[in-house]
Amino acid sequence: MWVQTQVFLQTLVSGLLLGGLYALIGIGMTLILGVMKIINLTHGQLMMVAMYAAFWLFTLFGIDPYLSLLIVPPLLFVFGMGLQKYLVNPVLRVESILPHNQVILTVGIGMVLQNLATLFFTSDYRSIPVDYASTVWYLTDLWIDAPVELSFSLPWVVSFMLSVIITVLLWFFLAKTDTGKSIRATAQDRDAAMLMGVHVGWMRVITFGLGSALVACAGCLFIPIYYLFPALGSQFTLIAFVITILGGLGSTIGAILGGLLLGVFESMTATYVGMGWAPAGRFVVFVAALVFLPGGVASLLKRRKLGK
Amino acid sequence: MRKHPGVLFFVLALCLGWSVAALAQGSIELSIPLPLTGQQAKFGEIEQKAYLIAVEEINAKGGIKKKKLVLNFEDSQGKPEVARSIAEKLIDVKKQPIVFGEYSSSCSKAVAAVAEERKVPYVVVTGAADDITQQKYKYVYRICPSNAYYAVGLMSFLNEIVKPRSVAILYESSDFGTSGADDMEKQAAKAGMKVLMKEKYEKGAVDFKPILSKVKAANPDVIYMVSYVMDAALLMRQIKELRIDSKLFAGGAAGFDIPEFVGNAKEAAEYVVTATLWSPQVSYPGARAFADKYKAKHGSFPSYHGAEAYAMAYLLKDVLERAASMKPEDINKALKATKMMTAFGPIQFQDKDGFQNQNFMETLVRQVIKGEHQAIWPKRIASANYIYPIPRWRDRK
Repeated sequence: MWVQTQVFLQTLVSGLLLGGLYALIGIGMTLILGVMKIINLTHGQLMMVAMYAAFWLFTLFGIDPYLSLLIVPPLLFVFGMGLQKYLVNPVLRVESILPHNQVILTVGIGMVLQNLATLFFTSDYRSIPVDYASTVWYLTDLWIDAPVELSFSLPWVVSFMLSVIITVLLWFFLAKTDTGKSIRATAQDRDAAMLMGVHVGWMRVITFGLGSALVACAGCLFIPIYYLFPALGSQFTLIAFVITILGGLGSTIGAILGGLLLGVFESMTATYVGMGWAPAGRFVVFVAALVFLPGGVASLLKRRKLGK
Repeated sequence: MRKHPGVLFFVLALCLGWSVAALAQGSIELSIPLPLTGQQAKFGEIEQKAYLIAVEEINAKGGIKKKKLVLNFEDSQGKPEVARSIAEKLIDVKKQPIVFGEYSSSCSKAVAAVAEERKVPYVVVTGAADDITQQKYKYVYRICPSNAYYAVGLMSFLNEIVKPRSVAILYESSDFGTSGADDMEKQAAKAGMKVLMKEKYEKGAVDFKPILSKVKAANPDVIYMVSYVMDAALLMRQIKELRIDSKLFAGGAAGFDIPEFVGNAKEAAEYVVTATLWSPQVSYPGARAFADKYKAKHGSFPSYHGAEAYAMAYLLKDVLERAASMKPEDINKALKATKMMTAFGPIQFQDKDGFQNQNFMETLVRQVIKGEHQAIWPKRIASANYIYPIPRWRDRK
């Protein structure tokens, strides 16, 4: 009995910790989606770039990946702004047969980034050998008579906490600052925002930068628990995409819930169905969300609010 | 043109002269499909380095039939469809009379199908999934033992020393992983062990803890894992995190058997044993010399993948020298008659136990001791004493 409880609780803990990190990846994509109305399919590749930046900061200067949270996201912010300003914006202006060739452009950017990374850094797998990588807290260490043994890995917990802090900061930025409000206005109604004197073009640039910075944060938080290689991006683009759909397009709170849900769902699938099914489960969630919950989790929240 | 017969003649002479010169100088140029980018690039890189060492040696001693051997590499990215198109290019366009190489089982399988269809001999160097040499192919040979034999050495270690009663099997959902896990299941059943769990995972997974907590609940004596590079390290790290105290942690070669495993898993890699096909300590002629040369050049000892590639180059030399001509048919005959000794071990292609043109050989066990892979089994080639029982996680520093 206790054994099964322990398996369940450990799975839940793993799922939540993973979900917290997923959420951070999802928020960046959903933010860009909200303002730009396009899916940024180079999201995971941007994370890969951030991870390489953190990797080299550690290898060359010995900067801890958590400290590089102060360096890498600002770099990616500028990088993302540059992408938007010099690559995406010009494409927005071009008339074309395909309505969404910015989306195709993001795929292209992703491929270029991945191939450049392969070229410069080879396709070797790398990881940062931090000392605390396998430091763990055990429930029985804190509470001797605990009926179940749970383990909390230090880097996982720290990454999760930082992810929460970053999300709160983002919420503060979007809710309380002028720029944040302008971004939200642009997302809600571009034309109205423009009439109110919001510089919509500039907001787009900032949003893309912000989205990139967020996924860069996720990259820095992932390094101590994962590893990196040039082709890592597509996997996380996909995860971000599923979270965005699950959470409701463009909804920040939806992305947070979507990330947590996906994390827990994947862990539960791994334990109770089979780990080989986790990626398949991801697609099931994706399709199910599209069919049964087109507005994502966000629409559920909204419905409740209206009901009141 | 009619106005300048002299020019025409000159051009013709030049062309003829060139081709004659090329023939006289003589070089045998062959291309090898290998994953040089992508997730399996690490293995491709080890093999590439080993091939190049062998080529250098062969050419220093006069080449093959007095012709210089030139090996080129084609990047298959570890993708079967790319490997297939490379094989098609080599056979159809470049008219290469023999194909060899590739790393993973999936890619080797793709190349094998093309080669068999075109009736051009193909030598599998590292792909270990059983069914590659069980298709009644007449033109496909394999140097490495198949997965069914990978764990033979490990099983004898388990039976004689560990005597486990139960085992949990975790494996990557690839050709190699699946066939490795299936074979382990069969052998474990034969040895009287109970298979408590047999779970596959998709490569690149971030979090193994859910599945590992299930393993912990099942409490097996041995955990046997078949994985490529990073998954192997992540698995061990998270096993340490969850403090799963099995009697032994065993890997099925590949990701557990290369130096990067220790580099990435750090202290969690300690005491992990792995099935392997080769170790620098084996007594085959030239093995030690090759290992030392590789280490001097690239900083670490090669894994068995390197030895396989190195042996392949010598097999190539042996076969081409025995073949009546450079036609695929003659090379195929020569391959079939192969009986030679290499740094990787004896090579002879036999039809046995449902396999065709398969090389059979002894496999060994290595253990990570003080951060280094040491051969521990069979005892006569051991470079260090095995450490068993292993300390519990709680008692480790």
